Amino acid sequence: MGMPRMTLQTQLVLRALLEDPARQRYGLELCELAGLPSGTIYPILARLEQVGWLESSWEDPAVHEAEGRPRRRFYRIAQDGAEQAREALARTYRSRKQPLPGWVSAHPAAEGGAS
Amino acid sequence: MKRQRRVPPSLTARTDLTPTLESVIAAARSHHPDVDADLLERAYAEASVWHAGQRRRSGDPHITHCLAVAAIVAELRMPPAVVCAALLHDVEDTACPPQRIADQLGHEVADLIAAVRTADVSAYPQAGKGTSLASGATTGPSWETAVLAIRLADRLHNMRTIAFVAQTKRLLKARETLDVFAPAASAAGLETVGRELQDLASAVLRPAIPSYVVTGRLLAVLALLLPSRQRARWQEEWSAELAALTTRRARTRFTLHVLLGAPRLSMTLRRPFRQARR
Repeated sequence: MGMPRMTLQTQLVLRALLEDPARQRYGLELCELAGLPSGTIYPILARLEQVGWLESSWEDPAVHEAEGRPRRRFYRIAQDGAEQAREALARTYRSRKQPLPGWVSAHPAAEGGAS
Repeated sequence: MKRQRRVPPSLTARTDLTPTLESVIAAARSHHPDVDADLLERAYAEASVWHAGQRRRSGDPHITHCLAVAAIVAELRMPPAVVCAALLHDVEDTACPPQRIADQLGHEVADLIAAVRTADVSAYPQAGKGTSLASGATTGPSWETAVLAIRLADRLHNMRTIAFVAQTKRLLKARETLDVFAPAASAAGLETVGRELQDLASAVLRPAIPSYVVTGRLLAVLALLLPSRQRARWQEEWSAELAALTTRRARTRFTLHVLLGAPRLSMTLRRPFRQARR
């Protein structure tokens, strides 16, 4: 099944989706939630769908026809995807040397190492 | 020697061939059987003399515009004097001596020409309500409706040939046509003239192809970068996103970023991992 590379952008997308795992989101919505441009979002969504963490489906015809616009493609965290995604996100924290980003924690070792 | 007319792009796809004096007389006669052809011929002769050598922006002799306006006025069932005034509606811009038209064609024609130049079309929608210009044949049009008919016909022919006018002026004229002339025509009961004016002006103000269609076509080209089995899905998905974006700027940004991300998406989709569902 494979693992997606947990780049910063991938993490942002996953966090946006995990905020409300049951909710379906479309690409443009995720762009805004994750603060990423369209060109970055789609490859990540495609990849996450490939590995089975996400599932996507077309919008219900009743909804988009009522609103008179083309149908959207919706994304949602897959059933077994949520757990794996959370796990992977947690690992990215654990793998860091510092529990918090450097600019938050006043770590004396970091300052000593820089000089 | 007559020049071949260049046909301007017209929404109504009407063949805008320049009418001849004969067709103007025929149109006038169809509504007023007792028309004095000699009067129209003399009006035409005057117009030819004074507009000799003048050309429109299209390159056509100015007299073609006089004939076109007269033909429209005749089709609006206006009486012969009004058709004569239409033939000569621009004569005051020429070297024609002020008294000459009154001497040659009578005071009614001369006064109509003067009134056409000073008429304020924006005052018509209110004044014209209720009085139908189209029914003028039976009762005879009022002075105001006759003047309005010439002004509308003048604007209609100018709008049909607006492709030759500079961009800035074209936008101004189209705006004025939409705001003043088209409503005045409709209020006077001239629905077809009003609708054509509206169509012609709208085509100038709003380009025939909206920008999101262009961006949409670009997306279709972008989708070609993707594996063939996936193209339709992504193209449709992007189109839906584009349709939700309200500004041209946002659509351009969206498309540009999709373009930048397309190679990566293509690579992702070509990976030998499990296929995406559906």
